[in-house]
Amino acid sequence: MIEGYKRLMNIEEPLAPKTAKGFFTDTSLCIGCKACEVACKQWNQLPADGFAMTGNSYDNTGSLGATTWRHVQFIEQAKANGNGQEQRWLMMSDVCKHCANAACLEACPTGALVRTEYGTVYVQQDICNGCGFCVPACPFGVIDRTPKQGHFEAGTAHKCTLCYDRLKDDMTPACAKSCPTASIQFGDIDELRSRARRRLGELRARGESKARLYGMPEGQEAAEVGPLHAFFLLLDEPERYNLPEVPRLPRKTMAERYAWSAAVGVGFALVGALLFGGRR
Amino acid sequence: MSDGGPGYYDYPVVKRPVWTWEVPAYFWLGGMAAGAYLTASLAQNFGSAEDRRGAAGGYYVAAAALVPCAPLLIADLGRPDRFHHMLRIFKPLSPMNLGAWTLTSFTPIAFARAASHASSTGLLRGPLGLLARLVPTRLADLAGVVLGLTLAGYSGVLLAATNIPLWAKSKLLGGVFMASAMASGSAAVTLQAARRSVPDATLHRLAMVESAASAGEMAILTGYLVQSGKTAHPLTTGRFSVPFWLGAVGAGTLLPLLLHRVARRRQGRTLRTLSSAAALCTICGSLALRWSIFEAGKVSSEDQRASFDLARG
Repeated sequence: MIEGYKRLMNIEEPLAPKTAKGFFTDTSLCIGCKACEVACKQWNQLPADGFAMTGNSYDNTGSLGATTWRHVQFIEQAKANGNGQEQRWLMMSDVCKHCANAACLEACPTGALVRTEYGTVYVQQDICNGCGFCVPACPFGVIDRTPKQGHFEAGTAHKCTLCYDRLKDDMTPACAKSCPTASIQFGDIDELRSRARRRLGELRARGESKARLYGMPEGQEAAEVGPLHAFFLLLDEPERYNLPEVPRLPRKTMAERYAWSAAVGVGFALVGALLFGGRR
Repeated sequence: MSDGGPGYYDYPVVKRPVWTWEVPAYFWLGGMAAGAYLTASLAQNFGSAEDRRGAAGGYYVAAAALVPCAPLLIADLGRPDRFHHMLRIFKPLSPMNLGAWTLTSFTPIAFARAASHASSTGLLRGPLGLLARLVPTRLADLAGVVLGLTLAGYSGVLLAATNIPLWAKSKLLGGVFMASAMASGSAAVTLQAARRSVPDATLHRLAMVESAASAGEMAILTGYLVQSGKTAHPLTTGRFSVPFWLGAVGAGTLLPLLLHRVARRRQGRTLRTLSSAAALCTICGSLALRWSIFEAGKVSSEDQRASFDLARG
């Protein structure tokens, strides 16, 4: 009977873990060419989002979403760095962070969101029923639900898969493959981390005093969501890139919230019992 | 130039919730069902014979309020045809999964208990009535109370277990929704009792139960607003301030408290009219509370500063 239930509900055993893979996005190398956005759309067959002009520098993409899994930010700073330069232009290719403790995965009621054998976070499109709980759960505003009508996998949650299909065939994800400056680097997570530390040392030595890594195991941003499988080298404070200082994992405070709720419910039941029983 | 705000232009940090009106409507009905079931069970197990008879209609209220719940939840899904995937796994860590299991198990119990009561009053006869007499009432009361409290209590926690500033900043939203559920559920019991020949003493007691829930709701709502601070602005000052202050707080909590207070020394028709009016206000106020907090949360999701503030702890 259990076997039948598993077949009916599409329940499979998780695959044995392999070497953890990820992205190291070195924003100091990004030139804002948006090749990553295009390659991602092309490989994953994601529809265009229209041709609206935002007026915000060269960014006409706006944000990550159900059909946009790489997003290049253009941050124009008049005098914001300590390097003595008059102005600078920060560029950053944003992506799903594939958190070690992923809020979307924990929120998912169907088990559609899973951790893959590469340690990445993946939405199984045949399982997701579009409940939408992962959308406000993500502290980075990455995952989104497509409209209920439309051509592209309507009504389910979507985000970067870290090219799970390409990984299965030992291929580099499309965005990293297309990046002309190696701003997006793909590889084994351990190797990427040591490479990132070396690179940070170089930049600091060159006077980039505000340079920092975001998403490393030792960083304060990993306090709740854990190390990020897609982590970044930033040239300014995280909030400048719309990244929260300490991204929240809803699970961390959930017990306390349930406790308050239960206290009110039990309190009411006791008062009610007394009010009825007091005059028996 | 982006130097104006703390973040990247004025883009939100988190995504706007995709849920629509079905969700607050479901939270309201599910909460009312739980509150009515609990009130009926309390009267059944602790009250006088008149209390038992007067409050037992709460079982009917609970069953009726549960009827639209599952359809509302399913309608809100992006893929309603896959609603059964909610029960594909058991994952109480996800409030959404816990809620789906709770609704699935509470609904048949509430129906069985209502049928059992209907058979005991002679309303339900024939083979179905005989079957309904087999329902173990005490056990159904206990299981229904536990599941009902879970149903009433998880909804606020579900909204709070996100990164939407208005929902997540304070830790009391689950308690607010629970209190509102108890108030609206006991109000629904009062409402049905006032329409039947129930003794004045029972109506007075039901009014006290309802007032206790409303007073508790005011207290925990105050705590919620204080803890939320500036984050609560989309609720307290924006376009949802009218349904919130006038609907949920004024007409939904303070007015019924006042009406029940006035009705305490009245009897007969006056008492019935006042109690019914107060109960109706409480029930509508409960919907106004869910709806305004739910919709204001969408506004809050677009507030970059509130998101940064939430993440700084």
